[in-house]
Amino acid sequence: MNLVKWARLKSPWLLHFNTGACNACDIEVLAALTPRYDLERFGALLKASPRHADVLVVTGPVTRQVKDRLLRVYNQMPDPKFVVAVGTCCISGGVFNGCYNVYPGLDSIIPVDAYIFGCPPKPEAIINGVVALLKKLEAS
Amino acid sequence: MDFLLELLQILVFPGILFAIGLAFVYEWLDRKIYARLQNRVGPLYTGPSGILQPFADFIKLLAKEDVVPNEVDKPLFNALPIFALTLSLTGFLALPIMDLRGVISFNGDLIFLIALMTLICIVIMYSGISSANRFSTVGAERAALQLLGYEIPMMLSAISIGILASSMWVYDIVSIQANSLWFLIGPGILGFAIFVLCGQAELERIPFDIPEAETEIVAGWLTEFSGRKLALFRLTKDVELLYLSGLAVALFLGGPSGPVIPGLEFILYPLYFLLKTLFVLFLLTTLRALFARLRIDQMVNFSWKYLVPLAILQVLIVRVVV
Repeated sequence: MNLVKWARLKSPWLLHFNTGACNACDIEVLAALTPRYDLERFGALLKASPRHADVLVVTGPVTRQVKDRLLRVYNQMPDPKFVVAVGTCCISGGVFNGCYNVYPGLDSIIPVDAYIFGCPPKPEAIINGVVALLKKLEAS
Repeated sequence: MDFLLELLQILVFPGILFAIGLAFVYEWLDRKIYARLQNRVGPLYTGPSGILQPFADFIKLLAKEDVVPNEVDKPLFNALPIFALTLSLTGFLALPIMDLRGVISFNGDLIFLIALMTLICIVIMYSGISSANRFSTVGAERAALQLLGYEIPMMLSAISIGILASSMWVYDIVSIQANSLWFLIGPGILGFAIFVLCGQAELERIPFDIPEAETEIVAGWLTEFSGRKLALFRLTKDVELLYLSGLAVALFLGGPSGPVIPGLEFILYPLYFLLKTLFVLFLLTTLRALFARLRIDQMVNFSWKYLVPLAILQVLIVRVVV
């Protein structure tokens, strides 16, 4: 395995974006970063600026209001970048699917690399999702 | 031959390669101790116990896309990360590690070393302003304001040691402490405390991480930097951490001196240097884990109301002792 790929696998920096979630998924994402689960073991850090991040972690149904901001943040991230959709609302719109103000899932706006199911997903599921993303990268 | 030896000293040991390698190890230790103090594990799977984590971060950032926004001041934006790294590495070269004097050593180099730290802060200010981003600009303003707060007590505490040794040469300061235990732990202890606190502010670490306050202004002056430039700035911060702890050791803890077996100085001096800087690093990391971020006005108030008078007191103590 070459050096750059190894480095990419070992240091996924996250950017957390809430597109209108009820905060349940956000709390679970934060729980994955705090002492009990501690994602920093895998080298993951939560970054505030899109320019520093590798993985965009999106929670919540994508509303029409937030679409432009989501696209702007996505475009601000430097390549190579990856997107993880966390929670049912983000994947398909969830209970809001079909509402006039909600898009039917994140992948109708930007390409998504990993989906994490649940309402909300447990921190274990989120870690599993991040590991699945890394595995996919390793195989590519 | 002498020229070759000097070149090796600058490039390999105790110069640039050594500085960069050690800076990565210190960042790993810093993150590990910080995580342990928060009941976490910290980096674990990148190399043995995660020791390669900072290296992996560095390589990853080097390989990422380097975004240059349209609105930035391009020449400054491109050049500043290199300036910052150069300044911090130059500072490292002047530290006594293998010997009681550094690779660069001349009479009056204490002033030069302090000026370097101020220059790094000015580079930070310019990089914030050249980014043309509102968060970066606010971060740069805060960095400048913070400089007004911590710089004077830091200089006073460093200069008080200069008065003690009647010299502004780091070599003289280290050798006076190497020869007498009293000068090592006696008059400078208050100055050491002030220097470590101000060093924390210079490094923009937690009680004083006001210029890059995540929850308020995204990433402060660093917001627009990505890829290679971010990698260089992170490396600058690591080398600066090493440089500041090394300077604190040189000024207050006797530099690389200690009980030596004649003939083995070249191994024992770097070993003492490592042990002492590890002690300072531990202090800095504990401070980072113990406190929460101050507001900018609280920080400036604190330093003018308490740190500056204490630093003046330190100068007076030294005058009385001498």
